[in-house]
Amino acid sequence: MIDFPAFGAALNMLGGSLDAWIWVVPGLLIGLLFGALPGISVSMAMALVLPATLYMDFLPAIIFLTSVYTGAGFGGSIPAVLINIPGTSSAVATTFDGYPMAQKGLHNEALGAALVSSCIGVLISYVILFVLVQPLAEIVLRIGPYEMAAIGIWGLVLLGSIGGSSVTKGLFAAGIGVLCGTVGMNTAGYMRGDMGIPWLLDGVPTIPAMVGLLAASQLFALVNAKFIVADESKRTISLRRIIAGGGLVLGSPVALLRGSFIGVFIGAVPGVGSSIANLISYGEARRVSPDPESYGKGNPRGLIAAESANSSSEGGSMATMLALGIPGGGATAILLASFAMHNVIGGPRFMEQNRDIVYAIIISNFAQALILLLVGTAFVFVASTVVRLPLRYLIPSVLVMSTMGAFAIEGSIAGPITLFVFAVLGWLMSRYGFPVAAIVVGLLLGKLIETELLRAWQLAGGDPLYILEHPVAVGILVLMAVSLGLSLRRDIRRRRALKAASAVA
Amino acid sequence: MTDSIHAIPRRRALLLAAGAGAALAAPGIARAQTFPERPITLLVPFATGGYNDRLARAMAPFVQKHIGQPVTVVNRPGGGTVLGNTFYMQQPDDGYMVMVHSAGPYIPLSILTRNARYKADDFHMINLPSRDLTLAACATSKGINSIDEVVQRLKADPRSLSIGVQPASADLINMALWMQAHGIDRSRVRVVTYDGGGPARTATAGGHVDVGFVGGEGFLPIKDRIKPLLLFSDEKSTDYPDAPLLTDHARAAGFQPQSVDGSQRGFVVLKRFVAAQPERYAILLRAIEAATKDPECVSTLGNQQLATTWYGPEASNRAYLSSAALMERYADLLKQA
Repeated sequence: MIDFPAFGAALNMLGGSLDAWIWVVPGLLIGLLFGALPGISVSMAMALVLPATLYMDFLPAIIFLTSVYTGAGFGGSIPAVLINIPGTSSAVATTFDGYPMAQKGLHNEALGAALVSSCIGVLISYVILFVLVQPLAEIVLRIGPYEMAAIGIWGLVLLGSIGGSSVTKGLFAAGIGVLCGTVGMNTAGYMRGDMGIPWLLDGVPTIPAMVGLLAASQLFALVNAKFIVADESKRTISLRRIIAGGGLVLGSPVALLRGSFIGVFIGAVPGVGSSIANLISYGEARRVSPDPESYGKGNPRGLIAAESANSSSEGGSMATMLALGIPGGGATAILLASFAMHNVIGGPRFMEQNRDIVYAIIISNFAQALILLLVGTAFVFVASTVVRLPLRYLIPSVLVMSTMGAFAIEGSIAGPITLFVFAVLGWLMSRYGFPVAAIVVGLLLGKLIETELLRAWQLAGGDPLYILEHPVAVGILVLMAVSLGLSLRRDIRRRRALKAASAVA
Repeated sequence: MTDSIHAIPRRRALLLAAGAGAALAAPGIARAQTFPERPITLLVPFATGGYNDRLARAMAPFVQKHIGQPVTVVNRPGGGTVLGNTFYMQQPDDGYMVMVHSAGPYIPLSILTRNARYKADDFHMINLPSRDLTLAACATSKGINSIDEVVQRLKADPRSLSIGVQPASADLINMALWMQAHGIDRSRVRVVTYDGGGPARTATAGGHVDVGFVGGEGFLPIKDRIKPLLLFSDEKSTDYPDAPLLTDHARAAGFQPQSVDGSQRGFVVLKRFVAAQPERYAILLRAIEAATKDPECVSTLGNQQLATTWYGPEASNRAYLSSAALMERYADLLKQA
């Protein structure tokens, strides 16, 4: 499946051109910086640099954009770990365990682990892209509304009750999230809950809402604290410990590989992408873990699962874009636009006729993953000084930056307003013990599930038995039911054992 | 005391009046020659990377060359262009902002289906070089050979095939008119809705739906995976030379062909501005015409699959308004997706 002459040509192309390399580090840095700013998403970072690529040659332009893509994919995790605010929607699950680790003073390890899982995730995804681009694209193209709805429901079931004091409160919060996620025009063209406000036509702006929910619940909780890390002796910034964090990743190869495969696969599905992939991967890691209670309290495996999945979605969505010419999400849409600006039409024909260029892009991304390891370490080293910053400076700065980010992403005051409304909601919810993370999960998955279920219903013409024609979807749902049943049985047994133990004592 | 308070505003008012008088008295030509004295903005009511965005960015350097001021592109996506259009309506009529827009069908559709507060007639087309047409297509793996086969199967059992389409789109109108002409009961057909051309095309190419009705241009990168069944047009397309045309199909079936253009894209300003600033409008018009006809522009844009045909304001407005009127006439078809 590998075309060796083209591979050689690709190596020549990269080896003989300085232009192809000088943009990698600036691209990664721009990506890291924009990704780390709360509110600026991966695709927005790429959109910002898109006009600059007009003046470059084709290959350097694409390499520059994919560098920004790779950098931003990880950049979002830095604030997720340090201040519990995901820089991009792909880093939501990173906050679940990354931030508790930081609070315990393990910020160096957490960032190191996030960086290494990201780099390896990118590497694995491009290896898969390199070897299996065509079959992967074929499979992904077959995934229809039934299969997507099943995957979405699985995610919601896995994560609906995350981080709460009780399952009912978790489900209530997830329900609120789903409701907010369905505001706006649905896929059949009906308006719901827009209250006549034109800004809500496309639904609640997800990123400002998410930042508001997570930031507010967090920052208000920190009002009486002086630093993120309570223990002063642990507020160190140590390169050695960042590297040790990276070592943690190599010690959990299963979590890493699972996350990477989930990321590649879900990232490849058009219209889904990394923000769903990191949630599903995290949910799966928690489900199969022998110790699910440790998740959400600073388990590095949760962080590895989330980070490997959000980074590996890059390779997945590149596969769909290169093999089919279909942009899976905002980032690949911008890449395709850049193709077009250089008089190149992406798609199967481009891949057949320019295999050398495609290989050059892939090889460059291998290199980007490795360079990210170095650039990212330096970036993380500087960024983690945040833990030494007194909260009375940090909180207002974060609020101002989030507000500006919310304005930037919406291009209007609708962003900051959403941020503040959801900040109040987030504070109220966490004040009364409802898990804010579950609202975010509902917000992100609710729209997907609703859209796909509606299409499934339309496709069936209202006949519920039509699902039997989609064995994959049935398979996913059966698997879900079985796994839920098993974990329920395990919980009951454990509770009984605890009860018996306490009775004996 | 009251006098002194009132005195200042009165003097200010006098000064203002004097200033305004001077401005009015200045010869119109002298004023017109100073326009534009600062950069021009091209407003795209869609996100980065779509056709309009690419068109605007590709045209910008050529408009700049012919108007003598820097030209920049700003995106203001959202709400099916309602947000961008509303924002544009709020700008001063000074000619420093021009839209690059899929005016048809987005402006009339946003009025009919999203209760936007402007009217189709508020906008004035400078030139609409690009049009995209609805294409009925199926995945090559589906084994459907012709549009007649689709008609036959839907007539025998409306539930036999699923159809993918965007709600509130020109494609939906074309599909509805086509079904009506064949006497197919649309309410019984399994119509699956997609909120965007991209998802509708993926669903068609992936075979999630049997037949998709969606703009043909976007299918070009995956042309090999689909079989074009019917093009809603009266003239052959260079992109799909083998696709049967609606006119021929309708003649064979014995009905009057009726269709709306999927997209009419190009340069748009407000009618209000044309009336208030005829000299500035003339300058913009001249610059955009010169840029569009610039041989360098024609070849650069041609390489990027972007259209540079010059139809001019008269033909463009006529095309835009007639498709808006058609959509209004069939507005009820849009409401029952």
